[in-house]
Amino acid sequence: MVNIAIETLASCDGCEISILDLHEDITKLFDNADIVSAPVIMDIKEIPENIDIGIVTGSVRNKENKERLETIRKNSKILIAYGTCACYGGITGMADLYTPEDVMSRSYTDNPSTEPAELPNQVVPELLSIVHPAADFTKIDGFIPGCPPKEQLTHDILIPLINDEAPNVPKKTVCADCQNQMEHVEFDKIKRRIEGEPEPGKCFLSQGYVCLGSVTLGRCGGLCTSAGVPCHGCGGPSLDVLREPSHDIYNGVIKRIAHLSKMPEKDVEKQMYDIGHLIYGFVIGSTTMEEKQVSLIPQLVKK
Amino acid sequence: MKNIEIAPISRIEGHGKITVQLDDSGNVSDAHFHVMEIRGFEKFLEGAAVEEAPRITPRICGVCQTAHHLAAAKATDQVFGLEPPETAKKLRELLLLGQYVHSHALHFYILAGPDLVMGPESDPALRNVVGIYKSNPEIATMAIKTRKIGQEITATVGGKPISPVTAIPGGQSRGLSSDQQADLLAKAKNAIGLVEKGFEVAKPLFTKYAEEIELLGPVESHFAALTKNNGDITYYDGDVKVIDSTGNMVHEFEPENYLDYIEEKVQPWSYMKFPYLKQIGFPDGSYRVGPMARLNVINNIPTEKASEMFAEYKENFGLAQNPLLYHYARLIELMYASERAVQLLEDDSITGTDIRQPLTEQLMTKEEAKESSETRRGVGIIEATRGTLIHDYETDGAGFIKRANLIVSTGQNNLAIDQGVRETAKKMIHGEEVSEGLKNQLEMIVRAYDVCLSCATHAIDGSTSMELDIYDSNGELIKRQLL
Repeated sequence: MVNIAIETLASCDGCEISILDLHEDITKLFDNADIVSAPVIMDIKEIPENIDIGIVTGSVRNKENKERLETIRKNSKILIAYGTCACYGGITGMADLYTPEDVMSRSYTDNPSTEPAELPNQVVPELLSIVHPAADFTKIDGFIPGCPPKEQLTHDILIPLINDEAPNVPKKTVCADCQNQMEHVEFDKIKRRIEGEPEPGKCFLSQGYVCLGSVTLGRCGGLCTSAGVPCHGCGGPSLDVLREPSHDIYNGVIKRIAHLSKMPEKDVEKQMYDIGHLIYGFVIGSTTMEEKQVSLIPQLVKK
Repeated sequence: MKNIEIAPISRIEGHGKITVQLDDSGNVSDAHFHVMEIRGFEKFLEGAAVEEAPRITPRICGVCQTAHHLAAAKATDQVFGLEPPETAKKLRELLLLGQYVHSHALHFYILAGPDLVMGPESDPALRNVVGIYKSNPEIATMAIKTRKIGQEITATVGGKPISPVTAIPGGQSRGLSSDQQADLLAKAKNAIGLVEKGFEVAKPLFTKYAEEIELLGPVESHFAALTKNNGDITYYDGDVKVIDSTGNMVHEFEPENYLDYIEEKVQPWSYMKFPYLKQIGFPDGSYRVGPMARLNVINNIPTEKASEMFAEYKENFGLAQNPLLYHYARLIELMYASERAVQLLEDDSITGTDIRQPLTEQLMTKEEAKESSETRRGVGIIEATRGTLIHDYETDGAGFIKRANLIVSTGQNNLAIDQGVRETAKKMIHGEEVSEGLKNQLEMIVRAYDVCLSCATHAIDGSTSMELDIYDSNGELIKRQLL
């Protein structure tokens, strides 16, 4: 039997729920593997030794996250970063858009429903100054981005892994899975999502809405775009963006909109709003994305 | 003096810890429930276009993502002055019911159930869902099947089973087809049968553990919940009603006035704040939310089977105060959610195509908003599975968030959890030798509230830097190096 441990760092626990979303198939996991530790569902408090497959979810936000990440690394033969937070810092990384002081005061001292008070500083773990993905601190053997990873993907990866087989994972973008029709339409205005009514079945970019489908790893089947909502990039950057030093989420989207609309790239850039939340929302904490020469993340992060 | 620590509290959502301090004679001098994490949503939502809040905030909590999605969506309706069409409201309610079926089934069977099915002091290695699967596979199968139906409702109505996307300002981005309606109706009917069977297994446990129900974490507090039509249970809309510990009404208010009634206190030993009733003060204004609180506040459940269960529960427990009864209340709500989903799905208007009121006014540009003093505001309150959830956004004239305030369900139970843990520790712990089973019973108090600690905290602290940042001569960060 293969030993599996799941450790949750700073996260929403949606990744753990996505594993439970194997539904009936989770019994394959229970039958073929021993889950030796997973605080979300079981009472083993210390991370045990001799873990075959360690799975870490969430980003590294505080000292305790970092310590537990280091322990599960030390005790695991294979360590997998599961979910966009563990891979790229995830939505928690949006905190890097503000200084820690501003962020703290919004909750505890400058808040409409809160009596201002001293910041919590006893018993609670100290936070790091910025949000980190797991790979900033330890070697990671495999990355499974997704917010959270789709249950089918989890099935197609975890089940072979526990049987010591190589998983076969899709490598295409969200665009490749999206059923909406992309077309060249000349326009000169980027729309916010609140403006107008998107036409069903038609590509969001072709209608002037910001959609990250073309620069996002698509293992979701284009669920959001088929539900009438543009891609938000929760699956993390596409393999093209990751591999090419000059490819970035921002310039990829700008180029694509310019290409479809015949707007000059400069005009697209001028109209692009709220790059922090809209373009880099899931990857602000990512060192890989930040270190790209063309990345705008260094300009967005406040210290 | 010695400290006993229980960490991490397991089978809950998020990171928590219990500490117990003993005096020299081995008696408990103090004890606390600590929330150990914080991520900062209230701040980092600032600057975002408010229509993005419904897809950013589900990441507050991966268990109750739908609740955040909908509270945020309701707030954005108000920010833009839009009224979702009736069908959209029904779809949103159905989406929320999917959340209830998933979350309540998850909590009862997978998170808390092992304490009752396997026993509070049973082997911790087996006291979990895998242990239940190996010893009582039929219960595990029931758990999996019930929860799956909830996720299927969420995926169909919300676009995705986790962090749904279809609620947008003014309505829904996608409707329900007749085929989907038929499919979900069959599933929701199936859920009723599954919940009935589950209740047959669960009900005797509340007799078996009658002593634990009395012992673990009892406190007296106020209770708050949404109600409508003079006391009906409601999850998606309604006004907030607050009662005292004997059942007398203290307040009834519309969501947008919540700041007149609720205030939060910060304690240095927890990242989670402590909301209380402002007009009564801290700590006497302690109040609780969630399944048991809802069943204390409401008078009526308008579905057949759940109302029968509710009547029997009221008969046995009256105005319930003991946290383990949250489990019982949760099962009644699981039935209500299934029955109400059937009601909504039997009504063909759920497949209506008028699902969104579009924005017709011309919004200011970002530049115009900078020059203007106009602000917009929206407050969305819903009943999340864990209790009343408040999203409050103030934006500039163009709808970019200037200030976000979130009061989440679990926070509102923080005072009662902390007090319950302390009082119970005082009763049960004498001397330094504390068995694993006894520690687990303290955790059971926390677990009863189905706490959601990722939800509960929205700020970050960067006071202690662990990194060395290297900037180039233009002031651009070129390298972060860990010290």
